Amino acid sequence: MKNNVSRRSVLGKITAAVAGVLAAPVAKAAKTVTEKVLVTTEAPKNYDPSKHRWAMAIDASRCIGCGFCAEACKKENHVPEGPYFRTWVERYIITKPAPDSGAARGETLVDCPNGGMHGYPEPSVPKEEIQHSFFVPKLCNLCKHSPCTQVCPVGATFDAPDGAVLIDPKYCIGCGFCIQACPYGCRFLSPVTKTAEKCTLCYHRITRGLKPACVEVCPTQARIFGDMKNPVPDDPLQKFYQNNLLVSLKPHLGTEPRMLYAGIDKEVR
Amino acid sequence: MRRLFIMPPQLFRIFLLAVGIVAAYLIARYFLTPPSFGEYGGWYRGAALAELATRDRVYAGKKACEECHGDEYAKLTKHEHKSLACESCHGPGEAHGIDPRKDNIDRSSYAACIRCHEANPSRPKWHKQIVSKNHYTGSKCTECHLPHSPSEVP
Repeated sequence: MKNNVSRRSVLGKITAAVAGVLAAPVAKAAKTVTEKVLVTTEAPKNYDPSKHRWAMAIDASRCIGCGFCAEACKKENHVPEGPYFRTWVERYIITKPAPDSGAARGETLVDCPNGGMHGYPEPSVPKEEIQHSFFVPKLCNLCKHSPCTQVCPVGATFDAPDGAVLIDPKYCIGCGFCIQACPYGCRFLSPVTKTAEKCTLCYHRITRGLKPACVEVCPTQARIFGDMKNPVPDDPLQKFYQNNLLVSLKPHLGTEPRMLYAGIDKEVR
Repeated sequence: MRRLFIMPPQLFRIFLLAVGIVAAYLIARYFLTPPSFGEYGGWYRGAALAELATRDRVYAGKKACEECHGDEYAKLTKHEHKSLACESCHGPGEAHGIDPRKDNIDRSSYAACIRCHEANPSRPKWHKQIVSKNHYTGSKCTECHLPHSPSEVP
């Protein structure tokens, strides 16, 4: 067999090998530069999400409909003016059945003027015709199988390991799929940032050991918040779970909300 | 050296193009994927958690108020209004905590009492309610009631 190794081919091969070896650190250096351009954050590293499991619950029988929670949420999270809410309070009015109708109860009327932030007008039905009336605070239901995170095409919304369902505002493209997917209407498209927004459980507060703003200002402790992995002595959330019969909203959808309610009627959805 | 496998040139060009596209994708992915992507196992940027956590708060929390207003705090926690936070009635207080002035905190008023205690058929029965126009014609609840210790008489 003829030996056809030429000077040219040997030199070529050596150059290619050297270039290959040199390319790796150059690529790494280039990557660090691109990372610096793409990611600029001075976020602290002292919070470990795997060591917490945040949860919240609502005791609707304690809600007096003052709307402090909705107002505090707006202020704390700089939620835009207008019909945009991360949490809100609905008023339910169930009327008495018409005589001889054979029904157990009449109509169900639900209203939520301005998220309940500024109180409620007089009920549209006279007081004598009301069978039941109550307030229901609403917010992100912290689904175990959250439809909103499943539909996100860019990985901008996700279930954090500590139980919060969050949105990465730098990745959100504002397509609105998650807003359609949420069966509880807990998301909106911000007219300011043009990205989807929702309750973060006041992530900047809970990671610093504070309660979410709505829980902080609730005067009757209708909202109960806690850490399932680090229960405090006499934990209000654990006590609430033990002392109440609990329901979740729209259980037939299989979302398995971790936000549990006590003291609500079947009409609440 | 004799070629063992001879690929037609038009096929070879398509093959080269396909390799080029895959290589371009891999290079772009290597450079453009943020370092924290998949940090917590999911298909998202791990750094987003820390970024969300760095936001500044607006409500300071009950403990921050206690530092300066310990006497009022002690009074509040002994009486019926013990479940209330200071900021329920006085509004957000982080700015006041950083720069304590009288004009950057809500001094509270009639509206704060009425917001919870005006009679409303939707409110639970255990909650104390009044019809304000029948209850008192003046506008100062504090003439008769102390908001920090409601059961005491002024």
